[in-house]
Amino acid sequence: MAGFRLDKGGLIDRATSLNFTFDGKSFTGHAGDTLASALIANGVHLMGRSFKYHRPRGVIASGAAEPNALVELREGGRKEANTRATVIELYDGLAARSQNRWPSLNFDIGAINSLAASVFVAGFYYKTFMWPKSFWEKIYEPLIRRAAGLGAATHEADPDKYEKSYGHCDLLVIGSGPAGLSAALTAARAGARVILLDEGSRLGGSLLSENEEIAGGSGYDWAQAAIAELASLANVTLMPRTTAFGFYDGNVFGALERVNDHVLEPSPYEPRLRYWKIMARKAVLAAGAEERPIVFGGNDVPGVMLASAMRTFANRYAAAAGKSVVVFTSNDSGYRTARDLKAKGVHVEVIVDSRKEASADAAGIPVLKGRTVADATPGKIVSGVELSDHMHIACDALAMSGGWSPVVNLMCHKGAKPIWNDRLQAFLPPDIGSDFVAAGAANGAMLLSEALREGAEKASRAVGELGFKTKKAAPPPCRDEAYAAQALWWVKESHGKAFVDYQNDVTPKDLPLAAREGYSSIELAKRYTTAGMATDQGKLGNVNAIAILAEAAGKSIAEIGTTTFRPFYTPVPFAAFVGPFTGHHFMPVRKTPLHDWAEEQGAVFVETGLWLRSSWFPLPHEEGWLDPVIREVNAARQKVGLCDVSTLGKIDVQGPDAAEFLNRLYCNGFAQLDVGKARYGLMLREDGVVMDDGTTSRLAADHFFMTTTTANAAKIMTHMEFCHQALWPELDVQYVSVTEQWAQMAVAGPKARPTLQKIVDDVVLGDETFPYLAAKEISILGGITARLFRISFSGEHAYELSVPADYGNLVARAIMQAGEEFGITPYGIEALSVMRVEKGHVAGGELNGTTTAADLGLGRMMSTKKDYIGRMMAGREGMVAKDREAVVGIRPVDRADRIRAGSHLLKKNDRPSLANGQGYITSVAYSPTLGTWLGLALLKNGRERHGEIVKVFDGIRNIHMYGEICDPMHYDKENKKLHA
Amino acid sequence: MPKVSSAVQRVSALADVAVQGRFGADKGAPGVTLSVRHPMSIVTVIARKGRSDDLGKAIEAAYKCSLPAVGASTGKGAISFHWCGAEQYYAIAEGKAEGELYRDLKARLEGLASCSDQSHGRVILRVSGPKARTLLAKGTPIDLHPAAFGPGKSAVTQMAHVGVHLVQTGKDEFELSVFRGFSESFWEWLTEQSEEYGYQVL
Repeated sequence: MAGFRLDKGGLIDRATSLNFTFDGKSFTGHAGDTLASALIANGVHLMGRSFKYHRPRGVIASGAAEPNALVELREGGRKEANTRATVIELYDGLAARSQNRWPSLNFDIGAINSLAASVFVAGFYYKTFMWPKSFWEKIYEPLIRRAAGLGAATHEADPDKYEKSYGHCDLLVIGSGPAGLSAALTAARAGARVILLDEGSRLGGSLLSENEEIAGGSGYDWAQAAIAELASLANVTLMPRTTAFGFYDGNVFGALERVNDHVLEPSPYEPRLRYWKIMARKAVLAAGAEERPIVFGGNDVPGVMLASAMRTFANRYAAAAGKSVVVFTSNDSGYRTARDLKAKGVHVEVIVDSRKEASADAAGIPVLKGRTVADATPGKIVSGVELSDHMHIACDALAMSGGWSPVVNLMCHKGAKPIWNDRLQAFLPPDIGSDFVAAGAANGAMLLSEALREGAEKASRAVGELGFKTKKAAPPPCRDEAYAAQALWWVKESHGKAFVDYQNDVTPKDLPLAAREGYSSIELAKRYTTAGMATDQGKLGNVNAIAILAEAAGKSIAEIGTTTFRPFYTPVPFAAFVGPFTGHHFMPVRKTPLHDWAEEQGAVFVETGLWLRSSWFPLPHEEGWLDPVIREVNAARQKVGLCDVSTLGKIDVQGPDAAEFLNRLYCNGFAQLDVGKARYGLMLREDGVVMDDGTTSRLAADHFFMTTTTANAAKIMTHMEFCHQALWPELDVQYVSVTEQWAQMAVAGPKARPTLQKIVDDVVLGDETFPYLAAKEISILGGITARLFRISFSGEHAYELSVPADYGNLVARAIMQAGEEFGITPYGIEALSVMRVEKGHVAGGELNGTTTAADLGLGRMMSTKKDYIGRMMAGREGMVAKDREAVVGIRPVDRADRIRAGSHLLKKNDRPSLANGQGYITSVAYSPTLGTWLGLALLKNGRERHGEIVKVFDGIRNIHMYGEICDPMHYDKENKKLHA
Repeated sequence: MPKVSSAVQRVSALADVAVQGRFGADKGAPGVTLSVRHPMSIVTVIARKGRSDDLGKAIEAAYKCSLPAVGASTGKGAISFHWCGAEQYYAIAEGKAEGELYRDLKARLEGLASCSDQSHGRVILRVSGPKARTLLAKGTPIDLHPAAFGPGKSAVTQMAHVGVHLVQTGKDEFELSVFRGFSESFWEWLTEQSEEYGYQVL
């Protein structure tokens, strides 16, 4: 043996050497190593500092449950904190750093915390940092967070890709040890679709690290043959490096696939992680069991580790934990470690067995029965142990085994509690029905033969329920290791500091303290002591904590029970949940059919929901937004403007009852609308509040073209579905969104008519032939299908033109060309908004979910001749109260002042207060037409107050000014322009 | 500015985006082949109340193909019908004049169904190749395994936050249709997800 790397054996590739650094120091390992095994092989045991006392810590486990050996992995944007050295696959160039230490891992000033350990008992924070109260947020909490804690996250952007995927199978097998392989083989041979996943880098589970005999050969060889057979079957998906982290309704499992965590940098085409949702018709949990530590003094000193971990390091990774080992066990499995180490040439000094009676094979190694280890010598590496009877034994590694806990987590994620079993001294998975069952060690079947048999039986039953016929086959013969255990939770003779929960530095004294102080419920004790919290969620320590609490509370372990198991089984990076939906792809971008045209015209775009809309179209010499908006408004008011309004929701409503359907949806009448005409419609919610507005046209007796606001398009469609399906299924009406079919353009201004006249085919756009509110299907540009509506949002003589979307850019360009002689100008939604405020049209600011039709000045639209959604509720006392806030216009008294949306309105001489509030400003605009800022507001009893001077108060911007209330229609009250 | 002529061409929303070529990882033959089907004629056909049977007969008589069952597609070549909701179908055809399919269906199905032209409102993408199914599993929760899906199936689903009408047209061949406005964003997602297999755009 050279150093701590064993001369032969192990599943490492000795021909491939990998260089890596830990805290800046260079080391070498082999392909097949984990970071933990490579460090151990290099004789490095000190890997971290503990959370509270900054005690030196080494590796305790060899897999997912590791609480101590947490490191910061990788650098820069790829840095990841709190990664477990035991599951990090070694790769060339790996860089890791220890955490929670300063200035260095070897010399950590924070370790003085342990001198004051008697102060830092459970509940210490709550008791100590109570006063003064104001200190908590500013002083105490930041201080504690700096002193205690684990790794730090990076602030840099993550350069890697992440993905999501869905999986489907008849049988999901979680875990690829003997039970899992047996289950997968049985189901796969019957033809079922099987997904076999395992969190490990290789499939095989415990067969990769234990000396087993199956079918006359080694367990490892049997596993390889089973995996090869599974890989050859088309109905099987093998997923190594994949952790099933959660169990959800509908037999859906969340899983995390580490596609490229084991390489220095992922290929640019591949993700680092893939987040899976697996819909399994049936599932078998074959996740095995976790060995428990024993609570004794110094059970956290580097060099002290689980017996199974020490065995795994030796067998799988060819790394010896020490040169002289003591084994301390309460059950038979500690003997396996002693035997395997001895067979590998590692000296085992003695086995200390807490049981008086034990018959396990010690292979000639001395056994001290009925004895316990009270203390391991503290330090940065263990140097010896002291037994309860004060006998001292020198060693440089200590293996401990307190028995086994089945990994029941996933089966309890939906609320079922595990069940205590006295014989095994362990919690077993609950029966949650036949869709998800446990097999093997996860089910408390601790013998290899049981695991193989249970895997096959459970899988056979599961896929049998789905109609697959499995062949009855006897499980392969194998050699069983006897397993007998006796409870040993806490060696009370210990002098040194002992730990129940390593990650949170919880000692066995904290739990009785919790019980004494009234927190004897396990859920309360967890929060009070922090046992079972943080990244490992107490995988190793929980059962010991429960047992110690039970004793203190005078209850049985079964009575105390467990805390609630919740996803995630192991930590899942946020990036995996985000997947590819980040930055530009956070949500999909929705572009209008006129996007290219708008871009050509230099549009500045704004996100409106998912849509990108043109805000304004600055000319090269224009700066800011106000100048182009003023120019655009002036052009539309004086010449002609073109605006993209394609984002409006458009719904085709057809059928014999289409008119009746609309009549019930809108508060105003639609049944009598003439074919070829458009009408402004107002919809109320069931509670009488205004929901949406828009123009709807009748193209044929049984065919309407409805428009909605951009924001409410999807909501109105859902509303219609509900009304039709749930309220009036008797109506023969069909409707479908045609928003995306049509590019829609507003052409507004005194020269709108001559502009459009140049592109329409065979229509004369006269007041007689195409009057206000005409709506017709026409053709343009020599044959393009189009719909033309004479409607106006700006208050000008205006039209809206719809053409099929693929022609949108082309038609917009043609209109620009046609309008060139009149000075046509593209305008964006800012100019559109200015014009609607000038004209007093209500929009989003006023349709804000609190206003009635009457509040908006549209009360006369509410028909008295028919029923419609919202009619009854709109008549409630409060909905028709006289002093409701109604829409008014507002202008600054000093015309040079700028009013701001959101400002509150008060009576002229009132002081700002909630009680004095009279209303607020909902929309503002700078009106180039009137040369002043102006707006719309909701004001109590507003219609009676035109001409009143009010105080305008904006506490956020500290604005105090006066405004004059007026009619909301600031511009062209007589609608002369509209009908020009 | 372009001169408008009577021979106006439809311009696909992906005209400048779906560039032909070979992209992504080089692992031999491309795992995925993508193409944009354009120009297409697409019409939503919704049965009038209680007229589904008559609608089926009318379609049978007019187009020699049956009305598809729930989750299914019928017809091939000249015209195909795809289930896309309760008594709701897409009629899809290639090589028709502007509005021709809509007018034809509207006339033939008078009183039996409401028809709405969606030819410009949806963009149809064809996805084929040995990795097509694996690729689509990154977006849709629908099981596309031959045991559960297959040629002749039609589904309405969501991928990457975008509503998708999904049809299987061959063993390893699918067609996805999405709202026109989302097509560019969806294309970006689809191609990025295809990179690991290597993909070509026809």
